[in-house]
Amino acid sequence: MDTIFALWKRGLKTFVRNKLALIISLIFPFLTIYVFGAIFTNEMIENPVAYMLSGIIITTVFESSLNLAATTVDDMVSGFMKEVLVSPAKRVAVAVGQLLSAVTVSTVQGVLIFVVGMFIGIRFTLWVTPIYVLAAMICVGLVFSGVGLFLATVVRSGQTFQIVKTVIMMPLTFLSGAYIPLSMLPNALRNVAYFNPMTYATAFFRMIVLEKSDLSHMELVKKGLAIDINGFIVTPMMSFGILLVSGVLFLTLSTRSFIHTDFSRMNRRASDASDLWG
Amino acid sequence: MNKIIEVKNFTKKYGDFIAVNDISFEVEEGTIFAFLGPNGAGKSTTINTLCTIFEKTSGRLLIDGKDVSSQKNEVRAAIGVVFQDSTLDTKMTIEENLIMHCAFYHVPRKEIEKRIQFVLELVGLIGERKKLVGALSGGMKRRVEIARGLIHYPKVLFLDEPTTGLDPQTRSHIWDYIIKLQKERNMTIFLTTHYMEEAEICNKIAIMDGGVIVAHDTPYSLKTKFTRDMADVTTKKGLELEDLFIRYNLEYKKMDGYYRIDAKNTSALLHVLSFQKNDISDIEIKKGTLNDVFLKITGKEIREES
Repeated sequence: MDTIFALWKRGLKTFVRNKLALIISLIFPFLTIYVFGAIFTNEMIENPVAYMLSGIIITTVFESSLNLAATTVDDMVSGFMKEVLVSPAKRVAVAVGQLLSAVTVSTVQGVLIFVVGMFIGIRFTLWVTPIYVLAAMICVGLVFSGVGLFLATVVRSGQTFQIVKTVIMMPLTFLSGAYIPLSMLPNALRNVAYFNPMTYATAFFRMIVLEKSDLSHMELVKKGLAIDINGFIVTPMMSFGILLVSGVLFLTLSTRSFIHTDFSRMNRRASDASDLWG
Repeated sequence: MNKIIEVKNFTKKYGDFIAVNDISFEVEEGTIFAFLGPNGAGKSTTINTLCTIFEKTSGRLLIDGKDVSSQKNEVRAAIGVVFQDSTLDTKMTIEENLIMHCAFYHVPRKEIEKRIQFVLELVGLIGERKKLVGALSGGMKRRVEIARGLIHYPKVLFLDEPTTGLDPQTRSHIWDYIIKLQKERNMTIFLTTHYMEEAEICNKIAIMDGGVIVAHDTPYSLKTKFTRDMADVTTKKGLELEDLFIRYNLEYKKMDGYYRIDAKNTSALLHVLSFQKNDISDIEIKKGTLNDVFLKITGKEIREES
């Protein structure tokens, strides 16, 4: 428990201390709305700002949780992970601590944007909406911090990791319907998007923010809140299910992989790794 | 004396390459033990295996009676490790680094503040505790690491080249801390170093080369065994002195302007020199150093960087 809490606190402190990153992460979503806003201005969507913002908020939570869990690679490179791993702290606790701090920080970021968004277009009438919003953010945070930690334990080298991260995050972000509606994607890409857990996360989160849970399936599909895979309609609830399943999968994978990783072969600076471990 | 570290027939292979070949040694509780050897001798492999980072290939390694591979957590709780490269979190303050370490090592919460005071006073950083580690100098970082390695009161402290890359003043300070610790807490200190003069302070030295231990003894007996004292003498009457050497059966070598004499037989040497009281202009006695021991055993000069 002490270990989990210590690592969680460390993640929060790092977040709070990095003021510049905090400000940029707050400004960036609104810049994106300005740039991509035109795409979503059509007669089917009555509140384009809220529509876009909900997509962007959940994307921010996704990106930031993945990134933060992936900073485990930085901890390996800086040597800090070595200090943790020669201690009697349990590896599971270390993994959970890293995951929870990523989830917390990314959720806080999501909430901050949501709060700012309430001044420029997000409205809600039901008192449960903020609770659902928070719960959904935490879920998405958990899923993708799992992905991030999993990647970190698999890749382990700092430079390679940057590339791997970009290659994975780009399609997940742009083929999710958050920035570009799925209906505007070419067929081939749309088929790829169906395999993207972010597609379901975005649709589900939008439905919550826009409070559209009472609409019929057809209407949901029209508004891009449910996904129509060749006639098979994935409702928001099913989307949530898909999200949960992938979350459990990645959390288990990452924790297992973290526990079994042989950190004795970690690649610090490629050039002198052999000196270090010879 | 209680054996705190016991290594029996330890072997470590990487594929076909044998990094450590069947070594055995013991370290007594409360002593300072130094591991010397050229790069690639297997020092780091041994220290990393003892610290539970590497898996052994075969053999038996015990720390405080606990097996390094089957009782990892017990061993980890009993040791403190200061690695060659910094493992501090540079984005946190000294104090925060220490608190985190206490959490990992399950130090009781009530004790933490007292221990932080103790270790930071020991390394002279009590006034710096709120500073970010990233802003500290190399020597200060090393002191923080030593402080951190001690805060959970380990039985054995592993120091992998604790003074490499530090200036002479900081190095001597760090040694003061190490000796103070050993005396005050009866802690066992296991270290590797490249600086031969530092190894002199240790109680026991093991020299490794090519994966095996080639010598293992106190610095004093290693020096007596492997080196000889020499006397460098400069005289006005060289030929006369050479005659005397031959007559009294002293080994000598004519150097550039002076004679180098084997000083094993001190009384004979003094006797010879007394004949030339008025002619000798300079005498210098050279004690054998650990560096000579090292050279003699491994055939190579120890390289200072790593």
